[in-house]
Amino acid sequence: MAAPTATASLNASTYQAGDPMTLAVRYGDADTRPVTVTIVVTDAQGNSSAPVRVTAVIDPLTLAVTDDSGRTWTRASDNGSVAVYQAVA
Amino acid sequence: MPRVTVTVRDSGGRTATTSVSYTVAPPVLGGYYLSGNADPTADMAGGNFRSLTQYRSFADGYVFPGYQRPWLVELGKAGVQMNMVLELKHYGAPTFGPQSFTVDGTSYTVPAPAMTIQQRPGTTWPRAYGYGQVLAGQCDGLLARALSQYRTLGFGVNIQLASELDTDHEFGTTEAGKAYTWAESDARAVQAMTYIVNWFRARPLPAGTTFSVGVGGFDRACFQRTHPETLMAKLNYLQWNVYATSPTHTALARFRRTKDWAVADLGPVALSRPVIIAEWGVRVAEIPDQARWIGTVPAAIATLNAERGPRIVRTNYFNSGWGTLSPKSSGLAALRAAYATRPYV
Repeated sequence: MAAPTATASLNASTYQAGDPMTLAVRYGDADTRPVTVTIVVTDAQGNSSAPVRVTAVIDPLTLAVTDDSGRTWTRASDNGSVAVYQAVA
Repeated sequence: MPRVTVTVRDSGGRTATTSVSYTVAPPVLGGYYLSGNADPTADMAGGNFRSLTQYRSFADGYVFPGYQRPWLVELGKAGVQMNMVLELKHYGAPTFGPQSFTVDGTSYTVPAPAMTIQQRPGTTWPRAYGYGQVLAGQCDGLLARALSQYRTLGFGVNIQLASELDTDHEFGTTEAGKAYTWAESDARAVQAMTYIVNWFRARPLPAGTTFSVGVGGFDRACFQRTHPETLMAKLNYLQWNVYATSPTHTALARFRRTKDWAVADLGPVALSRPVIIAEWGVRVAEIPDQARWIGTVPAAIATLNAERGPRIVRTNYFNSGWGTLSPKSSGLAALRAAYATRPYV
């Protein structure tokens, strides 16, 4: 299994107290794959059910964000490769 | 410096960790200046005034705290950050001949100021100690006298050399009978300012001492000429002044003008320095409702500080000249309200 990768960037290096802060996290893992499993049930007479599709992710990733100043970061969006978190300075 | 850390974990327990540091800047300091270097204590009392501009001539025997200005020591000890503008300009005492005096047991004789500045046609040109005189060491006694007095203050200040080099040089200068263009004067001033900062930095200074050079900031080429990286490496702040003198002037546009030139024209050392607005003001003749304009300043500063480039960290209202508050009561009330607003709190 491959190890995940992550890079993080803030929208500024210095904030005034009260400013909105935005953190963008780009992340991934070579093993992480979306898969779709399609199931069709067939009986002895050859009758088949309608196909049923199930989606799953192989080796899913979880993100954790911590801040040593105690600031709370809230996830605003996450598309599977870029997650955006927000806080207040 | 706070740090945010991101950990990505896969189902097998493998992780990737990365972190980013950031700074939360302290509030911008709201400040003041009262005409004639007068005692501003009453005007500042009860308001969030945390910064003050003062003007002194090196020619004056009382640079720190200034002649009959014990209140400056009180304000400084109370934590008001002082921006002391020290000028080679002679303030026009009746005599501007040579001076002889003793500083800490050493005798000095300083020749008469040999330069004229602010050579606007039709006006009397002020005298100043010449950049050549500074570089020749002839003004060292003035520096020694100022430093000796400074050491008795009990707190560190920002020393802003010159008030506005662009105003001083706009119509050229003359030293010892030789005329210099605006650009030549800027180049000579940079050498002299470098000499003075080096002179001070070579000696023990009160903790917290910082330096800047003064400009009005109204001329882009001059601003660039007076801020070479070699000089900026010795300075702690950028500085410019901001005035609204037309009904069309917005706070954001006026505070932005010189910043935009700085970002476009100056080097990385200069742009790493925060900004002191030593003077800002609203001219009542064109903008009768000074209070309303003042009320737009906090948002303008917050906007500029959220953009890339040097951060504005002090803004001192110039209640004199173009900035005279009229009526004073409503102007002061507006200042108090502004300085009680983010980013001043």
